[in-house]
Amino acid sequence: MNIAAGGHIFQSQPNAARRWEHATFWLFRAATYLVLGCGLSVFATIVFKGTRALVKPEAPFINTTFFTDAPETLYVFTFEGKGYAQGDREHRAFIAAHPAAARVKAESYVYSAGGIFPCIVGTFLLVVGSMAIALTLGVCAAIYLNEYARDGAFIRFVRLAILNLAGVPSIVFGLFGFGMFVIGFKVFGVQFFGWNVSLAAGWFTLAFMVLPVVITASEESLKAVPMGFRAGSLALGATKWQTIRKNVLPYALPGILTSSILGIARVAGETAPIMFTAAYVVRDKLPWDVAKVSDFFFQGVMALPYHIYVVSSKIPQNEYTERVQYGTAFVFLLVVALIAATSILLRNKLRSRYQW
Amino acid sequence: MSESTATREPPAFAVSKKRLRLLGLTLDDAIKVFFGGNAFVSVIVLALITIFLFREGFGFFGQNRQNLRIYRQAGLEYVDFIRTQTDDHTALTRYLSDLRLRQLSFFLQEKKLSLADANAALAAFDDFADRFGTAIDPLRAMVSDLTEQATEIKTKFIVAGDKREERRQLTAEGKTADAAAVKIDEVNFTNELKPLLATLPTYRAVNRELEQKLKGVLDTAPPPPTPELAVRFDRFKDLVQIYVAGFPAVEKNLETWDYLKSVPVSQAFTAFVFGHEWLTASFWQDWYGVVPLFVGSLMVSLVALVIAVPFGVGAAIYVNQIATAAEQKFIKPCIEFISAIPSVVLGFFGIAVLGQALRLLSQQSWLSWVPGFPYSERLNILTAGCLLALLAVPTIFTLAEDALNNVPRAFKEASFALGASRLQTIVKIIVPASLSGIVSAVLLGLGRVIGETMVVLLCAGNRIAIPDFSAGLAVITQPVHTMTGIIAQEMGEVVRGGIHYRALFVVGLLLFLLSLLINYVAQGIVRRYRISIG
Repeated sequence: MNIAAGGHIFQSQPNAARRWEHATFWLFRAATYLVLGCGLSVFATIVFKGTRALVKPEAPFINTTFFTDAPETLYVFTFEGKGYAQGDREHRAFIAAHPAAARVKAESYVYSAGGIFPCIVGTFLLVVGSMAIALTLGVCAAIYLNEYARDGAFIRFVRLAILNLAGVPSIVFGLFGFGMFVIGFKVFGVQFFGWNVSLAAGWFTLAFMVLPVVITASEESLKAVPMGFRAGSLALGATKWQTIRKNVLPYALPGILTSSILGIARVAGETAPIMFTAAYVVRDKLPWDVAKVSDFFFQGVMALPYHIYVVSSKIPQNEYTERVQYGTAFVFLLVVALIAATSILLRNKLRSRYQW
Repeated sequence: MSESTATREPPAFAVSKKRLRLLGLTLDDAIKVFFGGNAFVSVIVLALITIFLFREGFGFFGQNRQNLRIYRQAGLEYVDFIRTQTDDHTALTRYLSDLRLRQLSFFLQEKKLSLADANAALAAFDDFADRFGTAIDPLRAMVSDLTEQATEIKTKFIVAGDKREERRQLTAEGKTADAAAVKIDEVNFTNELKPLLATLPTYRAVNRELEQKLKGVLDTAPPPPTPELAVRFDRFKDLVQIYVAGFPAVEKNLETWDYLKSVPVSQAFTAFVFGHEWLTASFWQDWYGVVPLFVGSLMVSLVALVIAVPFGVGAAIYVNQIATAAEQKFIKPCIEFISAIPSVVLGFFGIAVLGQALRLLSQQSWLSWVPGFPYSERLNILTAGCLLALLAVPTIFTLAEDALNNVPRAFKEASFALGASRLQTIVKIIVPASLSGIVSAVLLGLGRVIGETMVVLLCAGNRIAIPDFSAGLAVITQPVHTMTGIIAQEMGEVVRGGIHYRALFVVGLLLFLLSLLINYVAQGIVRRYRISIG
């Protein structure tokens, strides 16, 4: 032992066991960072290629039409020695101006021109509606489970149902929504539901899908409110409901809302449940173009995730279609990532703010 | 006296205000019931899912039985007996052409012959292969005739069914005259099948002839050029012997075949659960066998778990036991972030980037030792499995990390106090103590992966066939179709209430039950092996 060299007698000495331990720890570290690397590479590829679709070299630098137009068919052709790639409307105008161009054979790619405005609107409507339903049901259920319920067979049963509901595959929710809301059922000759492919059907299907997430998140926030708040209020003679309304909910609500944002990310990101319940491949009208107000709820919409599925599976991959494919994926990823990031940041902030 | 006054006048602090009552409940009770009702919604939803999957899928087994009954009564089954013979013959021909390819490459590469010379050297073999191939022609012609006859009977039966339905509807609408005018050609299977059954003697003669021909062809087979090929050729001869030896069994099947034999209810069930074919919208016969889909789902999930478990659990151990506090703060949200990537985006990534990248990787010469490499199908089990692994890692990570976190500090401290190193503590104390939690995390990861739709729909290749397990590990480079994928793909195109529609709901029901089972087992493991923490 060379004490004079600067170490001290209790310093751990390198030996085989220690080297082995170090190597193993590095293995774990490598596994962790490889996972992060994979996630990052997916993200980076889509961001990188998507940005090219959304940004243009001249002012205002952002391809605004991609956000404000409806999808169109793209026509690619050569006319008088020059190559053109035009959207549907532009192409018709071009043919009107150059009648000879009508005879040129153009390759067409569906949905590859124009933008994704109807999809953004549709996704927004789906998320808002389904989260409103899920939050109402979920928060009330959580209040019951945390404030009123006493341990018993009924509560165990409810908890078991919530736990199992969380594990049901999303496509099964899609089938269920299709059977219940889209087709509907008859009891004694009275038709229930039967809304066809519609916003309302999508709302309820998605709401039931995220219900377990919302209930769990809400219950956790309610649990975080100290018992003393309730005891104090009850001791002053307030009823149970008054206690909950004035002394529990106000403190739990921020937590409930932030944790539920993760549910929003899930609702926005799922494709399978809306495939047969709410999503159209293409729809010319925007959702507010309705004759009656009630029609609003019973119309199908275009949605971002379903649009990505359509453009990635139904049209070929090449330089012309890449724009809409990566562009849509990028916008969608951005929306979901923003929602998720907000949720994670807010939660961390909230944890440090409320300390009882 | 004083007693009576005490009873008449209530004490000053008693609540005198009369409570509002709704249906005999006080307001507070009503609120409680309202919240309780909301909590009950999840139970109702679970029940409704079960009810609707059952309702829509319910008629399937009845319809499938009817489907199988027509298959028998219209003589399709009879024709399929003979068809197996021609199919087996096709397989043998394929073996021969493979043999020819090997001989050709031998002549070209070992003997350095020109292509023309090599082909000339193979002339005798080609002649042999040709005679072997044409020997089946009479039988094939017969099968084709019989196919037409059987299809005709089946069509007649279906038309009659449609007419009957039309009449029923007209009667229900009260148009009795119209209903009576609908002409229904009832199918008399005995009569219809007569010409079909009458072909049996012809078939026997054709079969005899085929047997003779094949034997004659085999006797005049040219000798193969190398011992290695000779072994293969002997194998071929053996296969032909086995093939010919199977003829009497087919004849026996045909003789004893009875179109009146009823299809038991259980067969409608077993045809679904153990059926090896999922074939829809075919002109001949539709099959609804879930095995290829189930095996596809299972293979994809297994590949995903094999990748995800080491990474997920490894990352959990690293973050919980090894990493510094700053690293923890950084890694945890990042992995949560990965779980927020929508599956359809991952699927798109698989189609656009990963499929191509993996195929390129497989074609590198230094990786040719990997089973199945190089491969040509861009979308296959491996591509889907890799992406699903990325989906499963956050689930497994979060739950496994929770489990590790729940191990009491005292365990770790006691281990250190006994002089164990950090690695020893992790491997021998922490991980075993949280094993039940880790196992249930893996199971829930499996549940997540097996129920995933978009990634497998986009990236698994969508070929409805049981992968060829004889390829060994290389099986993971084959395309498959999955249970979730088939529902998403075919649900939009089916007739509501038809057998195909109902079959998809039964597949959904199977998925639902599977997910419940996985959940149940995962919970059971946690409950059973939880370490009681004193």
